[in-house]
Amino acid sequence: MPPGEGVEVADAGAGVVAPPSARTGWGTIFLAILLVAALAFPWVFRLPYHRDLVIRVFLYAMLAQAWNILAGYCGQISLGHAVFFGTGAYTSAVLQTTWGWNPWLGLLAGVPVAVALSQVIGYPCFRLRGHYFAIATIAIGEIVQTLAINWEFIGGARGLTLPFQKDSLLAFQFHTSKYPYYYVALVLLVLCLLVSWWIERTRLGYYFRAIREDPEAAQSVGIPVARYKLIAMAISAAFVSAGGSFYAQYVLYLDPDSVLPLSLSILICLLAVVGGVGTLWGPLVGAALLIPLSEFTRIQFGGTGRAVDLLIYGGLLTTVAVFQPAGLVGLLRR
Amino acid sequence: MSIFTIPSSEVLIQGILSGILMGFVYALIAAGLSLIFGLMEIVNFAHGEFLMLSMYTTFWAYALFALDPLLSVPLSAGVLFLLGWLTYRGIIRRILGGPMLAQIFATFGLGIFLRAAAQFLWTPDFRQVSKAWVQGPVRILGVSVGLPQAVASVACLAAFGMLYWFITRTETGFALEATAQDRQAAALMGINTERMFALGWGIGAACVGVAGAFLANFFYVFPHVGSLFALIAYVTVALGGFGSIPGSLVAGVIIGVIEVLGGLLIAPAFKYVAVFVLYLVVVLVRPQGLFGKF
Amino acid sequence: MIRRRYFRWVQVSLMAVAAVLALATAPAAQTREVVIGVLYPMTGPVAQIGIDAVNVVKVALDIINNDVDINMPLGKGAGLPRLGGAKVRIVVVDHQGKPDLGLAEAERLITQEKVHALFGAYFSSVTNTASQVAERMGIPLLNADSSSPALTERGFKWFFRTSPHDGHFSLAMFDFMRDFEKKRGIKFKSVAILNEDTQFGADSAKVQDELAKKYGYEVVARIPFRTGTTSLDAEIGRLKTANADVLLPSLYTSDAILLTRTAKNLDYNPKAIIAQNAGYTDPKFVAEMGKEAEGAITRAPFALDLAAKKPLIPVINEMFKKLSGGRDISDVSARAFTGFITLVDAINRAGSTDPAAIQKALRETNLPADHLIMPWTGVRFDEKGQNAGVRAILQQLQGGAYHTIYPLELATREALYPIPAWSQRK
Repeated sequence: MPPGEGVEVADAGAGVVAPPSARTGWGTIFLAILLVAALAFPWVFRLPYHRDLVIRVFLYAMLAQAWNILAGYCGQISLGHAVFFGTGAYTSAVLQTTWGWNPWLGLLAGVPVAVALSQVIGYPCFRLRGHYFAIATIAIGEIVQTLAINWEFIGGARGLTLPFQKDSLLAFQFHTSKYPYYYVALVLLVLCLLVSWWIERTRLGYYFRAIREDPEAAQSVGIPVARYKLIAMAISAAFVSAGGSFYAQYVLYLDPDSVLPLSLSILICLLAVVGGVGTLWGPLVGAALLIPLSEFTRIQFGGTGRAVDLLIYGGLLTTVAVFQPAGLVGLLRR
Repeated sequence: MSIFTIPSSEVLIQGILSGILMGFVYALIAAGLSLIFGLMEIVNFAHGEFLMLSMYTTFWAYALFALDPLLSVPLSAGVLFLLGWLTYRGIIRRILGGPMLAQIFATFGLGIFLRAAAQFLWTPDFRQVSKAWVQGPVRILGVSVGLPQAVASVACLAAFGMLYWFITRTETGFALEATAQDRQAAALMGINTERMFALGWGIGAACVGVAGAFLANFFYVFPHVGSLFALIAYVTVALGGFGSIPGSLVAGVIIGVIEVLGGLLIAPAFKYVAVFVLYLVVVLVRPQGLFGKF
Repeated sequence: MIRRRYFRWVQVSLMAVAAVLALATAPAAQTREVVIGVLYPMTGPVAQIGIDAVNVVKVALDIINNDVDINMPLGKGAGLPRLGGAKVRIVVVDHQGKPDLGLAEAERLITQEKVHALFGAYFSSVTNTASQVAERMGIPLLNADSSSPALTERGFKWFFRTSPHDGHFSLAMFDFMRDFEKKRGIKFKSVAILNEDTQFGADSAKVQDELAKKYGYEVVARIPFRTGTTSLDAEIGRLKTANADVLLPSLYTSDAILLTRTAKNLDYNPKAIIAQNAGYTDPKFVAEMGKEAEGAITRAPFALDLAAKKPLIPVINEMFKKLSGGRDISDVSARAFTGFITLVDAINRAGSTDPAAIQKALRETNLPADHLIMPWTGVRFDEKGQNAGVRAILQQLQGGAYHTIYPLELATREALYPIPAWSQRK
């Protein structure tokens, strides 16, 4: 592959584009079973940790899918998505602690803030290509994290503790049973999957893929490339922001190290890539495998203090990348 | 307390000098990354861990065999050359044609693995070379310079010169350059591109090996030490222009100086912000970086 | 002679009767095992601290579960006497410094590992989320090493902290400065605050800033910086420009090493350095940089050189060294040891693993000073769950080792002041 022809962009998900909604029959049945299983899960598994694990799988799958809309479909590889996560988390938390807003409103309010921010970031940065864009998003992520650390109004490095309230739907707090958290996370994930599915089927998706495969060619056939990149960014940021607000209400404590770090941006990207970038099911598959795996190894070996869990995790990532570079979804399809 | 303070000119000159010295070290770390990228458009996300391993190599040579860090430069470079070569043969070669993101995650996974391996083998404790030949500061005209830093930057500059000479003046260098320009054409010319790629990874890692040995002379070593420098290295490479070796040198020095000036004139909390903003401003004006060919 | 033997016989038989009664009445006497969930960071940049803490907990377990003859709570005999000799088991988990993992792990430990109490978690942020779970589920959480003052201001009923927080620590620093001025007839005019920018540094700097104003010292520089930085040249440049009498650093080990080296390179000479432990009390820092950092003062809740006054210290330290590969017990590990013993002692006194009984016993805790390896006046909790018996001490590096210099009644050395300038050292 000769260098210098926008290869890094075009390669993002080459060869793994799912034919939109080609599956019928068995596929529909399988989907229905999956959905029923997801709905029934908390009634079968009653331990809070199991629910918590699945809630986190849903949350991270949603984040990875949202990232996938921008990076997988549209080919813009962002390594700074923690910015939108943090925006959502901080917006709802600050509105609640400072002005007493209801957390649900806070979640909704975080979305336009994150979308606006995404446009401010995207407008100049979309001129950059490939690694230059990726590093620019890292730089922006680091800048935003540093600003948050030094901004006393939002708690600075000391973070924000959200008030601990009685379980109620209105207060967005249901720590004892976790059912509602579970279903909120599930709804967010399903919503994100539906939007992705819709994108895949509509003109939007074709435009995105055209931009990913060859921006110049897309431009020359009359696709307003810059505008569609910004649209992808906006959709992506909106979901990630909602995920951030959810996290804030779920964990009730946030600081720049937990909602804005580079490691979170990379994790989001990692889940999608391991699962299968540019596919509808890849991010979910990635999250459903990697998160329980990392939890399992951490619980089994983390207490030894010898980092055996990360040894396994890192080794496995490399192995997957080497033997299944298009993502694990490829295995399922085989 | 205002955010802006005006330091004395002595402090300012001192700062700029320290920044330049550190900049040369940044530059050499970045050069290895840039070389590999120029050759095959792969960003090695385990670069920081390569640096960490070279620092451990130097430390253990010192701790076990009482080898001074200055003497273990060839050793460290050799070990890292081998590591780079093996990384190419074992991992990269298999995913050359794969998507860019798979390449990122192969090396990213390798980074996690190496970091965990370092903790597994050597505990997460901090270690350092305590009795090196070269240590302590020298003071000239009211400005003081850490001797290990000065040695490191001169050596990094020298290593840089050698690298540049190697690429632009030797037969093998031409072959590398040709492979970077056009893989197929190079192969048709009878160049063993496979060997060139492996060599590129070896040399790229060896650059880090040299930088790491000198760094270990004045910086502590622990499993996460690489990540401190890796982020700066990525920005350095991108600022200088991916694949441009002279670009890395210029960008490294600029970043070293901006970091100190940002800290002195704005606030230390924002010194990396200054570096990142500079990067953004430069690439928004010149999307291919300072020296990138695009 | 006969009388003494007779007395002894009565004593033994009374104890036997008491034991039988205890077995018959205490419902939890059937409990064969007490399980405690231990949360620490075991990977990541501060992994060493977590590993040290877990090792010291293992030392405590050895003392509790086996018949090691040491004069301290639960030192004699094997197991917990009030629980029919039940053994204590720990479940160690790595929370990686992530608050959401702290939350998940607390839930998992309580519901799946069936722990009777939680212990941890070093990072104030993780302690925050884990203690929320403990509060909700009604399981006691004992924290031995998080220094954020806010943790005990939340009105929690199941949260107990044996360690001093930043407020206590920093207060000792300023008390020392005031007392030292009187003693030597000098005057500190200004202070400079240098802190790394995670929660630990930010909390500490905030408290110090407030206290400095209260004590009438001018804060001429307050410099937060990105933790794990590759150079501190700019920071030292600023400190030189500010030229404060006293430098107050709050740094982890890596930054403390870098600060000392850079200060030497750039010839930065504050008259006094009073550090907020962390990096300064890391045994590695003392071993590697002890000579270079001569004269640095650190606050510490613990001091190895108090061995003469506290004979427990060398005993525990020897046991610790066997597990840690030669590292000395230090600030965080000593606090973890004390916290863990406090927790198990309460469970023993509760005579039951019922959470409410343990909570009640924790509230009634009153460990005397001579049962501790800490220089505290004891362990007893106020209504917020904060140990009221804490006392911070200050130590100074002299000749490569720490010596206690404050409070004066515990001092083993006279304070060295001012710190010799770099140019005057050999």
